[in-house]
Amino acid sequence: MANGERVPIVAALALLLAAAAGRVAARTPDPTLPDLAIRLAAMTAVTGYEQQMIDSLIALVPGAARDRVGNAVVVLGAGSRRRLVVCPVSEPGFIVGHVRPDGWMTLRRAPGRFSPAAERQIEGQRVTVFGGRGAVPGVIGVRSIHLTRGRGGAGEGAFSVDSAYLDIGAGSSAEVARAGVAVLSPLAPAKRPHRYGTDLIAAPMAARRTACATLVLAARRAVAEQGMVPRGESVIVAFVVEQELGGRGLGTLAHARGPFDETVVVDGAPGAAGLLARRPDSLAARWPGLGTVTRWSLGARYPGTYVETTSIAGADSLQHALTAWIGGRR
Amino acid sequence: VSGVRPGWGLVLIPAVLSAQQPTGLNDAERVLQPLVESYGVSGMEGPVRETVQRLLPRSARAQTDTAGNLWLTMGSGEPSVVFVAHLDEIGFKVTAIREDGTLETETMGGFFPSLWEGRPALVHTGGRTVPGVFLPRDTAATASPVTSEPVVRVDVGAANRAGVLAFGIRVGHTVTSPKQYVRLLGTRATGRSFDDRVGSAALVLAARRLESSRLGHTVIFIWSTREEIGLEGARAAAAALGLGPARVHAVDTFVSADSPLERTNFGLAPLGAGPVARALDNSSVTPPAMVDSLVSLARAAGIPLQVGATNGGNDGSAFAGWGVPDVPLGWPLRYSHSPVEVADLRDVAALAELVRVVAERW
Repeated sequence: MANGERVPIVAALALLLAAAAGRVAARTPDPTLPDLAIRLAAMTAVTGYEQQMIDSLIALVPGAARDRVGNAVVVLGAGSRRRLVVCPVSEPGFIVGHVRPDGWMTLRRAPGRFSPAAERQIEGQRVTVFGGRGAVPGVIGVRSIHLTRGRGGAGEGAFSVDSAYLDIGAGSSAEVARAGVAVLSPLAPAKRPHRYGTDLIAAPMAARRTACATLVLAARRAVAEQGMVPRGESVIVAFVVEQELGGRGLGTLAHARGPFDETVVVDGAPGAAGLLARRPDSLAARWPGLGTVTRWSLGARYPGTYVETTSIAGADSLQHALTAWIGGRR
Repeated sequence: VSGVRPGWGLVLIPAVLSAQQPTGLNDAERVLQPLVESYGVSGMEGPVRETVQRLLPRSARAQTDTAGNLWLTMGSGEPSVVFVAHLDEIGFKVTAIREDGTLETETMGGFFPSLWEGRPALVHTGGRTVPGVFLPRDTAATASPVTSEPVVRVDVGAANRAGVLAFGIRVGHTVTSPKQYVRLLGTRATGRSFDDRVGSAALVLAARRLESSRLGHTVIFIWSTREEIGLEGARAAAAALGLGPARVHAVDTFVSADSPLERTNFGLAPLGAGPVARALDNSSVTPPAMVDSLVSLARAAGIPLQVGATNGGNDGSAFAGWGVPDVPLGWPLRYSHSPVEVADLRDVAALAELVRVVAERW
């Protein structure tokens, strides 16, 4: 069968291309921390729909691969004493819950921990819907203030996702379908990370994304400098999925790659913008295979909002601390 | 990585449709987009006025009056007919600079400030633009949208009042949020300040197509200032013209109930179904005979025209004291005065054509 005969050639070409891509990635100059933080903050990874961002992280970290649950994982060193460092990528978001005949859509929250404030923020804002044919811009409708004048607010409650209407400019459900948007298409706020002050970055999940950027750069350096990890040790660097949905990504690492002597969770957390905090974490009680768990948090001003703010100076300190930790220094 | 991957921020489908759209829509979009992306809170309309001037034909001799209105007069002789669209947009003004480095603001125009909280901000100093953020506040437990607000504050990343002053920010400067013109599916588009950049675009497009020498009377286009805070620019223009004009056409938004969020008792003008004769609003009632004439004119020209009543005021009403009939021309807009106003380019193009036809034939 002609098609069957081509398969080995195609596979070989694919392997060659993949290998070449790996070498190119390894040789690509490191992006600067501010640039990478902004790039990652501009990405969307709604809980359960993180794989496009994982693709990007795999492309950024030479040697990284996707594991069984969809985490991006790279192993540094080959020793038996194992350490783990992870950064979660997931974020709150929504999915299309229903497509109305007139083209408007109603929503459902993506599962996981979700603050009411985060939910309320989408009212009257632009969103991006990730449909089967690519990203589609849309808006979440809001009442026109002119039409509310003198008409009172009786019967109107607080905004929630249950009162949200998604408008992508379609006039019918058929137009929605032609755009590749359907029930289960994930959506999140349209993201344009915003720099202000001397070194501040504001964006949804800015602190988490900036923390992940520091881990990307630390991992790239460790890959480039063979032998950074002390002899007899190995360090697994992972970008984990579904952190707010039972920690599925991290739990899978504990079970599939553990036991670890030590785990560091790199993330954002409420605090002064860019402040680096290190605290013991109780995750070990849930997954003993993680060993001693410490959370390294990059401080976020206005946490959980669309202008969550962190600082590049703080992130720079985190990157240096991570590089040192991977290299075995405490 | 995602920044350059198709499907991650690149808007494929609307772009494809955009390439296939008729010339009239392309023209409308090429004029509308730069106007929407210019910033001009009431009283600081300079950047928008400059954009209008740049978009007008080179031969146009537009002039700015002491109120900041931009005037373009075409043709000559009686009667004089005025078309007015406003340059300004809603936003905030800095009212105080706190010792902690945050700015206090007040609203300029009517809108739900809660839609701006927790958003990126831009402080317009008249020279440079200083980025910051509107402070978020947990409004989850309050009615929606929030109408009665405490002071909305802005953080520009300064540690104290001196730091704010070092950025060049002073009381009286205006504040907006970053905005972008974005195509939705088909002929729809979204952005902020479509009200009244669509009207401003329609006047520019009409002015491009009119020939002064072929006009049998005087046509005056006015791009007005400070409409959102009380029709101030239009009042100055009306006082300057006095009893002269035979008619004024405010070219402004028709706030439409074309959304599942709205009651449809009135104001239901579907997007894409054409411009709207804004025959009644909170500031004016068009004489019924003039509505009939407008409908006949549009029908004869093959321009779809809706007729309706909505809420809000319009610049044409500022001419009422001089006995000038106001025949407002609108286009349907969803989510008015929000960060995500939505309009249909077919309506924009048809509105421009309606302005041209009214100027030439009525």
